[in-house]
Amino acid sequence: MSRTQSQRTRQSHVSRALAADRLGIPAVLFFVLAGVAPLTVAAGVIPTAYQTTGLTGIPAAFVAVALILALFAVGYVAMTRHITNSGAFYAFISNGLGRVAGVAAALMALLSYSCLQVGLYGAFGPGAAAEAAVHLGLHAAWWVWALVAWALIAVLGLLRVDITGWVLGVLLTAEILVIFAETVSGLVHPAGGHIGFGTLSPADLTSAAFGTFGVLAVVAVLGFVGFEQAPVLAEEARNARRTVPLATYLALGVIAVVYAGASWAMAVHAGQGSVVAAAAQQGPGLLFGLGDGLLSATAQFLFLTSLFAAALTFHNVVWRYMYALGRENVLPAALGRTGGNNIPKTASLVQSATGLAVICAYAAAGWQPMTKLFFWLGTTGGFGILVLLALTAIAVIAFFARDAHGEGAWCRLIAPALAAILLALIVVLAVLNYSTLLGVGRGDAAAWAFPASYAAVGLVGLTWGVMLKIRRPRVYSTIGLGAHAATGQLAPAAGEVRR
Amino acid sequence: MARLTGTGLVADDLYLMAHHEVTGRPYLHRRAIGVGLAGALLAELVLAGSIRIWPEGGVSAGRLTPPDELARSVLELVRTERHPVADWLAFLARSAHGDVAQRLERQEYVTLAGSRWPWRSDRWVPVDPDCAFAPLCRAQAALDPGKPVTVAGATLAGLASACGLGPRLLPYGPRGARRCLDETVRQLAPDLRELIAQTQTATDGLLLSQRV
Repeated sequence: MSRTQSQRTRQSHVSRALAADRLGIPAVLFFVLAGVAPLTVAAGVIPTAYQTTGLTGIPAAFVAVALILALFAVGYVAMTRHITNSGAFYAFISNGLGRVAGVAAALMALLSYSCLQVGLYGAFGPGAAAEAAVHLGLHAAWWVWALVAWALIAVLGLLRVDITGWVLGVLLTAEILVIFAETVSGLVHPAGGHIGFGTLSPADLTSAAFGTFGVLAVVAVLGFVGFEQAPVLAEEARNARRTVPLATYLALGVIAVVYAGASWAMAVHAGQGSVVAAAAQQGPGLLFGLGDGLLSATAQFLFLTSLFAAALTFHNVVWRYMYALGRENVLPAALGRTGGNNIPKTASLVQSATGLAVICAYAAAGWQPMTKLFFWLGTTGGFGILVLLALTAIAVIAFFARDAHGEGAWCRLIAPALAAILLALIVVLAVLNYSTLLGVGRGDAAAWAFPASYAAVGLVGLTWGVMLKIRRPRVYSTIGLGAHAATGQLAPAAGEVRR
Repeated sequence: MARLTGTGLVADDLYLMAHHEVTGRPYLHRRAIGVGLAGALLAELVLAGSIRIWPEGGVSAGRLTPPDELARSVLELVRTERHPVADWLAFLARSAHGDVAQRLERQEYVTLAGSRWPWRSDRWVPVDPDCAFAPLCRAQAALDPGKPVTVAGATLAGLASACGLGPRLLPYGPRGARRCLDETVRQLAPDLRELIAQTQTATDGLLLSQRV
């Protein structure tokens, strides 16, 4: 072989080797779906939403929200190609609307994911208590089981992520199979002997009033949380330009079909006019009752593992956010340091402490865990994600307005603008109807306190962002860089000259 | 024959730091160690004057050739192909663990020990625990403003911290060791600072994308 040929062979070797390591569509899709925990939504969120809101348009809401998120994803994945740390909402908002807004978004995202994580203990506790009483003869309060789950998650959160990732994958597959079987079983046994399509009708989205759509959309968004994660793997995906969008759209499609199907089957099985009453009476049993015997028992067991897996996944999401913000020095640097096994122990422990405080507070106050912890905090987390989605859509428009980066008008303007309008409308409707979402009276403090918490956190973030800009320009210059903060900190800040 | 002074090569020292001095058990995820060792292999070339790393991560090869065989093979690759340092870290990380272990085995610092269990792979075990612990002492100088530190020692400490070995290293330093380490790394040549930052970025990337 001549020297030139030899060099050419070696030349292609590095690129080929790196390409072989990159992830394809199935791997990215699996990564996204592994964080979704479908039974948590199908058996936990959907029946509680039927019960608390008294609305029946949930199946239609899943389809409608999937379409809006597909529209949102057009600009989202387009912007992914041009920024680092994609996958974190605050990175998009930092790049689009400025770093001050990025800090506010980061704190709002932390609050959202933390609400989603902590709320799950409110469903796990009662579920585990009921199962233990029936099958093991153990009688303990819900918060005892919630604390058991909390302790396990606190420990697993300090272990290596690849172990838990494998477990989450197995659970995901089992959950989707069980939901599919329950859905088919429910549709085969409809109330009154015929299958009704009323709950899938767009008219059901605004059945009570136009504002009903905002309430239903918040519930539906809860089911889709996690779909935004595909861009996290953009730098490791094979042909990211194709893989990330495809994985995102496939994830949206799978989630929409699974949840719309399951919630529709519940309404068909119980009857559209009776599904709200049945949900109030049966709770998660509304899904389990679609099947019989072994299927129902398997679903009940997997519901607990699903809740546990979801709590663990969101625990990991929260510490990842804290770690990225700690690396950027936006939050205390201790959160951005890893322990002996590459896990940010401080960040993980902070989230564990938050969970412990909330469980203890609910136990001490004697508040109802399923509605007031699981559903209230869960939907409040979902509401926060909705706000972030709306802000991100606006950020996409602002980002491409400065430089089109070769993207077409559909990707950089039309789709993001439509998504921004629809998402902003949902946010406004949700705020106006938050009492319906929580199932409380209009004057109840919870109806304004939960959405107002995001305004308060956003204000704190804006103030902190301005302070960083004035006092610590080097830190300010790396906001939104995430993993690239280390190299970003080497770059000269505004006003500095690099020698 | 293993010596307390070591081989004088950054990757060898980092390998020994990343594994238990008696059992050879890794302290970090294998991918994170791979990235750290990849950074260390490139650092050896920078210290030998064989390559330069530019701001924003560009890499260019010079004429000087290092005496070590593994370092020469890495240099040969860098000479034939142009990639940013992030790509080189990703590429070298795939095989750096085995490559460096074999180099240490040739120098009689580690030996391959079979596992008692059929489902566990064989493990490289240090021949002399004192020699395996010595790199930590060399890096320790970077944590103490009162001690003289070599460029190789500062680079080793910086890379160790970047790939996640901070908790292993810092307890051996005095109060304020972290600040001292940051300051020592800041005083390194721009090539080495860029390399350490790129190694940190690669490790953070693995962490945030759930690959470690």
